[in-house]
Amino acid sequence: MGKDKKYFLDEKPEKLTYGGVFRRINDWARARSLWVVAYGTGCGSIELRPTFTSRFDAERLGMRMVATPRQADVLIISGYLTVKTLKRVIRVYEQMQSPKYVVALGACPINGGMYYDSYNAINRLDLYLPVDVWITGCMPRPEAILAGFKRLQELIDSGRADGWKKYIDNLDRYRENQKKIIKNWKMPNYNW
Amino acid sequence: MEVLNRLREKFEITGDKVQRDDLALVETTGKDLIPVLVYLKTYEGFKTLVMISCVDWMEKGKFQLSYNLWNPEKKKNIIVKIFLDRENPVFQTIYKIWPQAEVYEREIHEMFGVNFEGNPTQDEELILEDWEEIPPMRRDFNTLRYSMEKFGEREPKSGIIIRKQISEQYDEWRRK
Repeated sequence: MGKDKKYFLDEKPEKLTYGGVFRRINDWARARSLWVVAYGTGCGSIELRPTFTSRFDAERLGMRMVATPRQADVLIISGYLTVKTLKRVIRVYEQMQSPKYVVALGACPINGGMYYDSYNAINRLDLYLPVDVWITGCMPRPEAILAGFKRLQELIDSGRADGWKKYIDNLDRYRENQKKIIKNWKMPNYNW
Repeated sequence: MEVLNRLREKFEITGDKVQRDDLALVETTGKDLIPVLVYLKTYEGFKTLVMISCVDWMEKGKFQLSYNLWNPEKKKNIIVKIFLDRENPVFQTIYKIWPQAEVYEREIHEMFGVNFEGNPTQDEELILEDWEEIPPMRRDFNTLRYSMEKFGEREPKSGIIIRKQISEQYDEWRRK
């Protein structure tokens, strides 16, 4: 950290709360324009290419890949997640602007999958990040991914996709779990 | 391959085998490995180092290092093997012969704990960050137990019991 400290925030984030018709309009709009970080953590990212390009064409449903986490709404954990990648994923997730959603692809983030005895791949993702939609399969086909995104849209539309609120409320618990496996925590306590 | 005859005349070769028409295995001693590699590169046209791999022979107390070379003109492979002592695995670096060997040696150092003397970057972390246990690709490292202790469980209790049994069986088998 050191001289980079001015770029980071150590304070906890605030939770945006507004209700009524504005919340309803915002949720309606958000569900129809999901931007996904172009970031693949494991083998599942190979299925995202046909999903987002012309074969299955997720862009007709309002989804597209964007280059930076600041522009994005959705983070896809695509397949196995190693400890080394988890550090980067936490930074990407915390740089995204609220409201933000996490979609976990495949068996590995659920319970380890075929990497259940790996020395380096985590077994449960929801100890470290709040997950809104799980898509099972090893790997899930693009049809399954589209079905999962349809579910995510329903959740957002009805105001039930509140993983980012849970993350802010239970930040201490999540941070404790993250620090349990990331021994050398070099990041600030909260890095926007 | 006739290159084996020339190698047998010049160096101390403890074993050799022709696996296929285009693949031969040569076993030599640590003292002779670098002369053999230099000879193969300079005079026999094995210009490319394909990879270096490591095998853990726990029962024999040895580590095997395999240097896989490729002759692009004659389309032939040759694998040069040496055995190191498992308790104190130290060998010389060959990155001055092939610069790409530096990264392979760094990975073997991280995964098996073999020391390559003279390699400038072998202590930098390649894949594992903040690793505190014994190197994970050694066969006496129990990955299942490590994973259970570090990453927790997400299964019914019967599954946990079965996994613990497997882990204990592994330990018993290792002690034999």
